[in-house]
Amino acid sequence: MRNRKLRVTPLDAAVLLLLTGAALAFGYRVAGDLNYRWDWSSMPHYLLRWDAKEQTWRAGLLLQGLFVTLRLSVLSGLLATLFGMVMGLFRTSRSPLRQMIGGAYVGLVRNTPPLVLVFVFYYFLGDQIMAALGVNDLVYTLPKHVQSALEFALGPVEQIPAFLSAVLTLALFEGAYITEIVRAGVESVEKGQWEASAALGFSRWGRLRHVILPQALVRMIPALAGQFISTIKDSAIVSIISIQELTFAGQELMAATYRTFEIWTLVLALYFAMTFPLSLGVRALEGRMNKFRNGL
Amino acid sequence: MTLWQTTRMGLTALIVILGLASAVWAGDARQELAKTSTLEQVMQRGVLKVGFSTFVPWAMKDKNGDFVGFEIDVARRLADDMGVKVQFVPTKWDGIIPALLSGKFDIIIGGMGITPSRNLKVNFSSPYEFTGMSVVASRQAAPGKSSLADFNSPDVTVAVRLGTTAEKAAKNFLPKAQLRQFSDEAASIQELLNGKAQCLVASNPLPRNLAAKYPDQLYLPMQEDFTREPIGFAVRKGDPDFLNYLNNWIRVANAEGWLDARFTYWFNGEEWKSLVE
Repeated sequence: MRNRKLRVTPLDAAVLLLLTGAALAFGYRVAGDLNYRWDWSSMPHYLLRWDAKEQTWRAGLLLQGLFVTLRLSVLSGLLATLFGMVMGLFRTSRSPLRQMIGGAYVGLVRNTPPLVLVFVFYYFLGDQIMAALGVNDLVYTLPKHVQSALEFALGPVEQIPAFLSAVLTLALFEGAYITEIVRAGVESVEKGQWEASAALGFSRWGRLRHVILPQALVRMIPALAGQFISTIKDSAIVSIISIQELTFAGQELMAATYRTFEIWTLVLALYFAMTFPLSLGVRALEGRMNKFRNGL
Repeated sequence: MTLWQTTRMGLTALIVILGLASAVWAGDARQELAKTSTLEQVMQRGVLKVGFSTFVPWAMKDKNGDFVGFEIDVARRLADDMGVKVQFVPTKWDGIIPALLSGKFDIIIGGMGITPSRNLKVNFSSPYEFTGMSVVASRQAAPGKSSLADFNSPDVTVAVRLGTTAEKAAKNFLPKAQLRQFSDEAASIQELLNGKAQCLVASNPLPRNLAAKYPDQLYLPMQEDFTREPIGFAVRKGDPDFLNYLNNWIRVANAEGWLDARFTYWFNGEEWKSLVE
């Protein structure tokens, strides 16, 4: 497929023309009927701005939001993988107690709407956990260089408690889906592999670690990648608890400037810019793995 | 000493001791109350955390990402007078009262209108400003109307922002009209501009600004506001110390004319517009 030369046939040209026409007609309708004055002039400023006082370029409001979204998705993605791994192994375990814990976790989280979960977790559980850990006071007492390191990883110091509780909520939520991905991966490994490794005298943990998981992981990668991409997009729901990520930043800007369509368009483009390279990366990774598997 | 005298002495002593004890106890309770007051906590922390929602020109972000607006000025001056730093916590309007109650910040300074139902959940200071509801209407969809009564009919659709006092005002003054509620202002404005809603009810200066910005499409049916709503600081319940401080602060800031001057700057002037767009 890849090696074939690209040729544009008349049919392709006709389809392309039709699509362009449809896009133009749509644009014309939007511009005409919507009664909206497009004004892109101040938009670049929300991405990058020149700080005259300090003579440097600074991230604009939307780009700041993008950074928060990135931090949020990377941290909660990692944590969710951890939760998912543990719970997934629990679900495939032979102990009824562990099976029940894993089952209860998935059942509880997957059958509640994320919006409600975020709200409840933030106002009831998050606070208690943060207070018990003493995060609120802890971050202020840390030495300066630790604080600046934290600021790089977690954002402004005063927002850390809220940010952590958002990370935890998202991780819990995404972890339930990853649990099922892990379970599917482990269960997809043929029974013979278990039996063969048992015959070699591996313990259960040894069998998992050396034989089953390496094979399961390869099968899990496309689903895991999909889950991570959706974590980036799902992170928008924490805007309801006023975490200042991309969606929240966009909404604040809209409330201040009433430039609804320009800002939503930019927000859309920024989310796409985050997730599309990931999709490409995963596709490349899969290609390499297929080559490797076929070569075997 | 007779038995009677002994009993009387004993009783008197008992009453005095009990009285003293309860006085001491009451003193303890007072100290306890003062210690747990938000005022005291803010002083110790050295930071006043202020919750608000973006609402032009009450509070908004300027081009450089700093907060500006009438409420921001008020919060800055309040913190300054307390001798503490101010920390702004932008919050969504629908969740602002739960956030205050669960201690995400100390006070709401966000143009919050005092209403009986809100007052059941939080305590309000005395009003430091007043705001009025106004109507802005679409020229195409609702031409030539000039009073509230003209809009009070079933074929009129009114756009309002969810959970605001505008929603209440629209329900009270335009009971026959259909309400369309939006969680943010920009969406309700777009609905009006598209002619799907005949009018928008909101607190001034939004209707005035909109009519000035889109003169060919929108107009102001009435020049005067049709309500006058008190705006107060909202704090958690059961905190007389903090309320006392706030009320007296308002009295002082009012007496100096400072509050009126800031209000005029943000609500009747145009100078600040270049900061935002």
